[in-house]
Amino acid sequence: MSDTVKIYIDDKAYDVPAGMNLVDAAKMAGNDIPVFCYHPKMEPVGMCRMCLVEMGSIQKDRASGEVLLDDKGNPQIRWFPKLQTACTTNVSDGLVIRTNTPQVDQARENVVEFLLTSHPLDCPICDKGGECPLQNLTMEHGPGSSRMVYSDKLKLDKHVPLGDLIFLDEERCIQCARCIRFQDEIAGDDVLAFHERGRSLQIITNSDPGFDSYFSGNTADICPVGALTTADFRFGARPWELTEVPSICPHDAAGSNISLSMRLDRDHGGRAIIKRVMPRQNENVNEIWISDKTRFGHHFTRDEHSRLLCPLVRRGGNFNETEWKTALEYAANELQLAGGSVAAIAGSGMSNEDLWELRQLVTGLGGERLGAWPPTHAGADLVAQVGVGQGTNLGDLGKGDAVLIVASDLEEEVPIWRLRIKQAHDRGALVVVMNGRPTRMDDFASTVIHYDYSKAAGAFDLLQKEHGDTARQLTGAKNLVVIAGAEGVDLAGSRALMQAAANFLIESGHVGKPNNGLMATFPGANGMGQYYLGFTPEATQDIIANPPKVLFIAQADLLFDDPAAVSWLKQVETIIQLTLFAEEPVPGVTAALPIQSFAERDGSFVNGERRVQRFYTAQGPIGQALPAWQVLNRLGVQLGLGRSKLSASILMNEIAQSIPAFAGITYKALAHVEPQFPLVGGDDVYYGGTAYRNKGGLGVQIPAAADNGGAVTKGKVEKPAAIKASGGQLLVVPATRLYNRERVFRSSELVHPRVPDAYVAMNAADARKLGIENGDMVSISAGGSTLKVRAHVNGAAPQGAVILPRHLSDTPAPLAITAGEVSKA
Amino acid sequence: MSIHDKKYAERIAAQFAKYPTKRSAVMPLLYIAQEEYGWISPEAIQEVAELCNMDSTQVKSIAGFYTMYSEKPKGKYWLQVCTDLPCALRGADEFYEELKAYLEVEDGGTSRDGLFTVEHVMCLAACDKAPMLQCNFHFMENLDMDKMKAFIEEKRAEAKKHEE
Repeated sequence: MSDTVKIYIDDKAYDVPAGMNLVDAAKMAGNDIPVFCYHPKMEPVGMCRMCLVEMGSIQKDRASGEVLLDDKGNPQIRWFPKLQTACTTNVSDGLVIRTNTPQVDQARENVVEFLLTSHPLDCPICDKGGECPLQNLTMEHGPGSSRMVYSDKLKLDKHVPLGDLIFLDEERCIQCARCIRFQDEIAGDDVLAFHERGRSLQIITNSDPGFDSYFSGNTADICPVGALTTADFRFGARPWELTEVPSICPHDAAGSNISLSMRLDRDHGGRAIIKRVMPRQNENVNEIWISDKTRFGHHFTRDEHSRLLCPLVRRGGNFNETEWKTALEYAANELQLAGGSVAAIAGSGMSNEDLWELRQLVTGLGGERLGAWPPTHAGADLVAQVGVGQGTNLGDLGKGDAVLIVASDLEEEVPIWRLRIKQAHDRGALVVVMNGRPTRMDDFASTVIHYDYSKAAGAFDLLQKEHGDTARQLTGAKNLVVIAGAEGVDLAGSRALMQAAANFLIESGHVGKPNNGLMATFPGANGMGQYYLGFTPEATQDIIANPPKVLFIAQADLLFDDPAAVSWLKQVETIIQLTLFAEEPVPGVTAALPIQSFAERDGSFVNGERRVQRFYTAQGPIGQALPAWQVLNRLGVQLGLGRSKLSASILMNEIAQSIPAFAGITYKALAHVEPQFPLVGGDDVYYGGTAYRNKGGLGVQIPAAADNGGAVTKGKVEKPAAIKASGGQLLVVPATRLYNRERVFRSSELVHPRVPDAYVAMNAADARKLGIENGDMVSISAGGSTLKVRAHVNGAAPQGAVILPRHLSDTPAPLAITAGEVSKA
Repeated sequence: MSIHDKKYAERIAAQFAKYPTKRSAVMPLLYIAQEEYGWISPEAIQEVAELCNMDSTQVKSIAGFYTMYSEKPKGKYWLQVCTDLPCALRGADEFYEELKAYLEVEDGGTSRDGLFTVEHVMCLAACDKAPMLQCNFHFMENLDMDKMKAFIEEKRAEAKKHEE
């Protein structure tokens, strides 16, 4: 938007970007035009009429283009005979509006009065009360007293569950269609609509399950009244009682910026708990949206029943609760006896600071192997090389640009990326999806390429050899982003795939620039942090092959992720586990040490776009839990390996000094904010909804090696042998489901109805061969485990392979694709 | 029973052929479904949604918006009587009361034998031929109760014969 035009608002001139929406332009000029149906992220519809203004244009001589003047020498303005809706107007040169005339005041008052004719005025019991656009605009523009007879108001159903997560209050709805338009335009799940018309108009959903979308919570944020409320926050607290703490979503690689709304709670012993999770604006990361897992997956932070409350150590045959001092002395003793045979496996939910202290401790003791968990995705080093350039914003992708998604079910793995790429597709970007099976992303793709799972690692060969046109469209695009997952490949295959992706980008010059480069759907919040701090899946493989004497397992649920873990863990003499959860301790573990969740401490994660983002302490600890870095630091002090450290910010300073990627990064730098557009989170909740303004920092993106003109070279793709099924076997392809039974998600009971029962998807032809019918229980033996799950015979799986979602049953699915036996149970 | 039945295949294909996208054929397909089921049943909505590749919520929304789709089960004969002013001046309102009394139903109700659903509607653009109604979207004009009774009994007899 380089061109600006001059417009006049209330007789003052402003230069604003040409073609901008008038409501947005006025907002930038400091004039808040009230709206209900308009939202800066969506197309205007002009339904509510709240934004009526007097509008005119300065008259110019058609021949000469000169401004015509009246008798007094002022420009002639040609006014529209009636008020016009600002939201359906784009600014043009010489546009004149008046927003403070009696006529406009009257119109606003009338619109509010009209909306209130059938509004219940139950603000005292309404969740939205206190942050309600209708309430605020009524106070500002409303008539003050009602001319309506209260008993004549429309009485409608106030408790309509649209699904398990969102409730509709039919009386409160003012029918602005923001929720419907969000689901259609932004989320791409058009499962809401109007039903009937006139006075009978209502919001409905007919999907099964109801309101079937991973983004449903956002509709409650943008609802300008209390019509849509979330099952989580409904009747939970009043907005003015809440203290907002900036945080980062701990669930996936997007690193959505969130705000934790904290309040002291009677049901939790008077402690501060998370009452709701809200989006915090970061236009480069999640804009003002979050997925429902981010929003409703926080309950583990408060769940005293599932969390480990104090250290446990094994003495003889007993596993006893103990004090920190005893536990640390005991662990230190074991570590000293290891004689350097020490290694660590760290989960992707550990913060950079935790990983740093773990690394210091292990290397200080003479250990070398730092494993990343889960060991499913390789190629983080390539993301560091040719990852998306600094300043990348998926929201900028549009016509002429391209996105390639390969080996990933993006909606299930990183839903916010799926939402943003859907919009890039709408703006005209070429979206190509390559996978072994159909996924939801196909709905938003220009081209879908299905490959045989046995050739998944060679997907790029297939692209270039058999889909030359598509490959040329991709390489010829103005900007190209490749998002790679690891579905259908093992670790070696993942490396080959990532290397091929990197080569593809380097060859076509799509590296080292904003909106160009590689992204990967690493599981957990800190997959890239693991890499930068030296934790790799290759080291994990090495640890599995040659177990050390003493092994740290930090925030990783090995037994739930990997069927082979039970057997190889037996070879480890001493296991020291850092864990959030009480039920998790690995059999034979020597010490289980309770650590704090992301809500109880501060720290930082690196997201899939290499953005280092900071989260803040929101609540007190559960039991005696400590931040993982502190546990590790104390252990180090006990062993004489360094000094006691007081805060996470000091650790970040150490990281910045030792690890080049973090050079210059401090907590202060991470907390830096700049104004973002659209301006949300002010008192004018009617404009952007209740997403919060970013006050905790926009984060700092680590430059990729290719950024700033850095030279990068192609690497050799070492393609592993194809994984083939023979002799009646089928390929068992583990896949990710967003809603599952992982420990961190298990306390979020309200989402349980949406977690599918354990199942396997298989092709009709394979099922027929094996005598399996839809709904039969089947037994799957693969990768050292046997699972009994229900068969879904449908088109979700290609012939010769079954899709086995991870984390739906207590028996783990294999870590990576493998051949296996499937039979009727 | 389903609009996937062969007997509709040709008509459905003909509708799809008229439009650039399948979605555009949703309204004609809803009419076919209503013909099949007698009303827009939940199954009908699912079937049309699948055929048009739309979310069923959107199909339900369309069925709800237009009054010529009925989302409630109807009798075999759906009698919509115009009672607007010009018709009323020609006695349509009295005619409508008598019709309801004869069938022993309330406005919008279905007769006990399940054959007739009656309701009053807005102008059907045949004021000069009032009292008039439309029966399954076909006009019946210049009516009186004698004609109506004859029609009703004829249909009842037909239905009875059909049963035997």
